[in-house]
Amino acid sequence: MTRSVRTELLKLRSTRLPFALAGLAAELTAIFSLLEGSRAGSSGTGVAPLSTAAGLSVVTTVTGFAMLVAAVAGVTIAAGEFRHQDATLTYLATPNRSRVLAAKALVAALLGALYGLLAGVVATTIGILLATSQGDHIALSAGTLAAHIGGATVGAALLGATGVGLGTLIRSQLAGVIAVFVWAAVIESVIGGLFTSIRPYLPYTAATTLAGAKLGNAAFGPAHGLTGAGPLPFVAATALLAVIAALLSALGARTTLKRDIA
Amino acid sequence: MAVIEARNLIKRFGHVVAVDDVTFSVEQGSVVGFLGPNGAGKTTTLRMLVGLVTPTEGRATINGRPYGQLPSPARVVGAVFESSSVHPGRSARNHLRVQAMATAAPVGRVDEVLDLVGLTGAAERRIGGFSLGMRQRLGLATALLCDPEILILDEPANGLDPEGVHWLRRFLRDLARDGRTVVVSSHLLSEVAQTADAVVIMDHGRLITHTTLAELTTKAGQTIRVRTPRPDQLARALAARGAGVQVVASDRLEITAATSEEVGTVAAEAQIPIFETTTETDDLEDVFLRLTAEATRLEVTR
Repeated sequence: MTRSVRTELLKLRSTRLPFALAGLAAELTAIFSLLEGSRAGSSGTGVAPLSTAAGLSVVTTVTGFAMLVAAVAGVTIAAGEFRHQDATLTYLATPNRSRVLAAKALVAALLGALYGLLAGVVATTIGILLATSQGDHIALSAGTLAAHIGGATVGAALLGATGVGLGTLIRSQLAGVIAVFVWAAVIESVIGGLFTSIRPYLPYTAATTLAGAKLGNAAFGPAHGLTGAGPLPFVAATALLAVIAALLSALGARTTLKRDIA
Repeated sequence: MAVIEARNLIKRFGHVVAVDDVTFSVEQGSVVGFLGPNGAGKTTTLRMLVGLVTPTEGRATINGRPYGQLPSPARVVGAVFESSSVHPGRSARNHLRVQAMATAAPVGRVDEVLDLVGLTGAAERRIGGFSLGMRQRLGLATALLCDPEILILDEPANGLDPEGVHWLRRFLRDLARDGRTVVVSSHLLSEVAQTADAVVIMDHGRLITHTTLAELTTKAGQTIRVRTPRPDQLARALAARGAGVQVVASDRLEITAATSEEVGTVAAEAQIPIFETTTETDDLEDVFLRLTAEATRLEVTR
């Protein structure tokens, strides 16, 4: 198992994509943190001033895009090998396909954690810089800020592993990536907008609330900004995401993973 | 001792039978040409040998065990399938480092195999920019990383230029000299005829023949071409002696299943003048084509 994990890590280090995705996660986080920061305190935006804990946390918890990038990375780790057809070499070297899947899930979680950590640090830094540049005090404690960064790390890690499950199940990198964005931007938005009571249980929403985002703050479309049911407790949200990642991987292992490698 | 054994392998993809009850074995240290036209079922069969494709029925073993149950499969079998089946964004060296890590091959082996296939100078280049020939060489380097005793090479000459084919033949000869067991597939007999001890010929998913190259040579027939002013009369006389005769022009015959001596004797007895006789012996490629064509005919009449 250790060898499989080290192999997957080496695969990641020897291509540009993980670094490009890290850059994308940091850039998107920076752009939307700055946008939220610029809206803070303005009338009609619904974003409280940066001098308040509520306003500052809107900026420091804009880590949802990094979580989506983590999920995309997970899909790529699992399905990219079928796109480039190097899955043949992977399974020649390690015929135990479940072991390869477990290693990929672990590595995707590690990579996702890095993206979440990076996004958390970027958003928190921007939030602090914006607040101090306006002469405001930092309304959130260091512990709270660290918890948000930690939550972003955990949330992105679990979505990374979920991406591996999805990529294994679908086997198509492009379809998997599209599925991630459609799920987060359309399906969760529609379901979240229609049925507020189940919003905390939707995986992307649950991951963002781990990072301290209010329900609906990270949502797209009609569900954006909608409050309602409170977020799941940290442990429950973590467990929910872990179960979803495990279920998708198990489903993939029992179905598509057994298929012939052509 | 047989190191590769395929027993009654069947593979169906939906209603399509890609491999139909194929049984063969490969002896240790032998070089086997796995031949057949495109779509014959060669690649599917080879993929079944290494567990990439699960047989619908039958069993494939390496050293008596399914590939997946070998303790260190990559140390036993080195396999090359698609020349393009490598990540185009990696350098050749990084690709081999990944494979070395996955197969527990010594890291120092990476430079050795790069040198072996003549890619040392391109080690840091991205594979996406490699020519087909360079990719084929990289595939062979990958297969040799663990210095395996058995090599399975699927169409390694596909797309190679004449210089590449020449290099590959020399490379296969070196592998054979090392005493390795090599299974090399091709749709051209000429690509493997110089190195193979035996051939497995497939067509339409079926095993046509599994024989030594020497035995295959004995199946080579000959055609005698005769120029005569009385072809119909000579044809009747030869046919009466059991020869296969075809009048191909107003003064020409093509005769099979007879020797030139027999043709001359029959012509003399019938007092038919002969102006010219040429004898043409089939080469191995002709035998191969004839065998696969016969299989195709049988398939059509089925």
